[in-house]
Amino acid sequence: MKKILFSALLGATTLLGALGARADMPAGDAERGRLVFAACRTCHYPEKLVGNHNGPSLFAIFGRKAGTREGFEYYSDTLKKADFTWTPELLDLWLANPRTFLPGTAMVFVGLPNAQDRADLIEYLKQFHD
Amino acid sequence: MSSSEFPPGPEPLNSERRRFLQNLGLAAAGASVAIGASAAQPLPRREVTQWDAQTDVLVMGSGAGGISAAIEARRHGAQVLVLEKFQLPGGSSSLSGGVCYLGGGTPLQKALGFEDSVENMFNYLIAASGPYASQDKIQLYCENSLGHFQWLLDNGVKYAQRFSQEKELSHAEDSLYFSGNERVYPYCDIARPVPRGHVPPAHNQTGGRELMKCLIASAKALGADIKTNVSCERLIQEADGSVAGVQIEENGVRRNIRARRGVVLAAGGFIHNPDMLQRYAPELAKCRPHWGRAGDLGMGILMGMGAGASTLRMHHGFAVLPLYPPENVLAGIVVNRRGQRFVPEDSYYGVLGHETLFHQGGKGYLIVDADSDYPGPDYRVVVAQQADSVAELERKLQMPEGALVQTVEYYNRFAKKNQDPLLRKNEHYLGQLLKAPFKAYDLGTDKAFYAVHTFGGLQTTLDAQVVHAYGEPIPGLYAAGRTSAGLPVAPYHASGLSIGDCTFFGRRAGAHAAQRTGVKA
Repeated sequence: MKKILFSALLGATTLLGALGARADMPAGDAERGRLVFAACRTCHYPEKLVGNHNGPSLFAIFGRKAGTREGFEYYSDTLKKADFTWTPELLDLWLANPRTFLPGTAMVFVGLPNAQDRADLIEYLKQFHD
Repeated sequence: MSSSEFPPGPEPLNSERRRFLQNLGLAAAGASVAIGASAAQPLPRREVTQWDAQTDVLVMGSGAGGISAAIEARRHGAQVLVLEKFQLPGGSSSLSGGVCYLGGGTPLQKALGFEDSVENMFNYLIAASGPYASQDKIQLYCENSLGHFQWLLDNGVKYAQRFSQEKELSHAEDSLYFSGNERVYPYCDIARPVPRGHVPPAHNQTGGRELMKCLIASAKALGADIKTNVSCERLIQEADGSVAGVQIEENGVRRNIRARRGVVLAAGGFIHNPDMLQRYAPELAKCRPHWGRAGDLGMGILMGMGAGASTLRMHHGFAVLPLYPPENVLAGIVVNRRGQRFVPEDSYYGVLGHETLFHQGGKGYLIVDADSDYPGPDYRVVVAQQADSVAELERKLQMPEGALVQTVEYYNRFAKKNQDPLLRKNEHYLGQLLKAPFKAYDLGTDKAFYAVHTFGGLQTTLDAQVVHAYGEPIPGLYAAGRTSAGLPVAPYHASGLSIGDCTFFGRRAGAHAAQRTGVKA
């Protein structure tokens, strides 16, 4: 299982140098992130009371094991087998490289190429926890 | 070739002119247009020496339009290949609410005690759609609405015999509701209000997932071949202008696929193509979020244009400003920067967004008092200013002196009597604004949540044939869903019109293509 994450990370790193970009993650602005994240609301809601949508709830996403949201029945095999915990750095990597990091998930997504947008989105999501 | 080439190529830009263009931002725009044009240029049939695969009907895209075309083409005996660019079928339809706008007395309407007629449905749609409506498409759609509902049932879509009174469907168990502007003035006076939003029961508005699950299963059961991770890149066109096939790309390899009877472009709109969006729909471009799945890249529209197709209404789209739920906020008033009301606040949220975006420059405020306020912070809106009196709020918003005070006084004077002579908001939503604190929520496009999607696309006939710029159908080329310009126009006045258009005219594309005669060997 570790191997899946490792190869995904390796693919993204070699192709796009994303790990290098990760070290320079700009400081995020949660209020800007509110509207950056808005596009994700076709499928994801971070509010605790909303729960799962087309995609799993993103309430308290950071520090949570990937692919384990209660009640969500639509995980791809890729995410079911994933053995890692969501961190801001890994989410940044996924949003920057949706077709190389974790390919084959059910998240059909064009990517968020702007590093500031990703940082703002991540800062916004950090607000949602107990 | 000789050194004196003819015609001569374009002169290289000198550095001064390049700088000038760069300052205008035009150099970059020019470059991106060129990329789109070359990708969409049809490949002449004579350059295809060998077909890598063949089918009768090739469908580009696997949303509601494409899958409906596939189902109907199979029912008419054609071999069908559906190509989806991404890893999962379903398109933006699978992320939608899954509402289909149907009426004229469907069994669900009747069972729940609502009386509707084809004329009543037609009158509402014509009035609410405004001057850009495709009248012939609306008429055909209304006349065949009962049959279309039966078609959805036949393909396994399930509906619950339950009606919801809510403006937005938030109950997982209900299947019929007023999904548009039927009860809003002046439409309530033009056509008798009847609920026409038909939706499979689903929690959190995931009805689109249910709908597409059923339609995709039906298409597969009928024998349609659906392939994912295959991108349609270029049409292949005969010298006489008819369409012979499509050049596709799979795992980085290009292949030519013959479509003996027709190609259906059903690849969504262009909300995720920033260059097209800026070029055709700049008002939509400045809104966020851009609402749709990743495939709404405009490729189907560009390919059609490359083959000489006419387009319609490229600046139209939905601009949903979802102020409700909760419905208590609709006792508040929506005003422009001069403190004037301009839209009945109980309007369908696509109309609220359209009026604010297109007619007030994308600026405005929702003014509420303590009773009409949101229960807490909300992701859709932020407070611009708040104050203990309307006069103080007006000053803080830098509105013309007395304007907002006058608007609120006038509104309150009649709301007290359950009346709204100015805009005729329904009395169910009227309420005086009396209790501090008074808040102004910012409805500016840089602050508020405007979900936007495009409605402009290829011009099509009633049989979904793509129409050439000179007015005749392009033989063998069809378009459906948001790749075409269909029932939904701006303002978007009812949920379910887009899915209704995708499924209904998708069916017609598949049926017509499957039965096309006079095809070259």
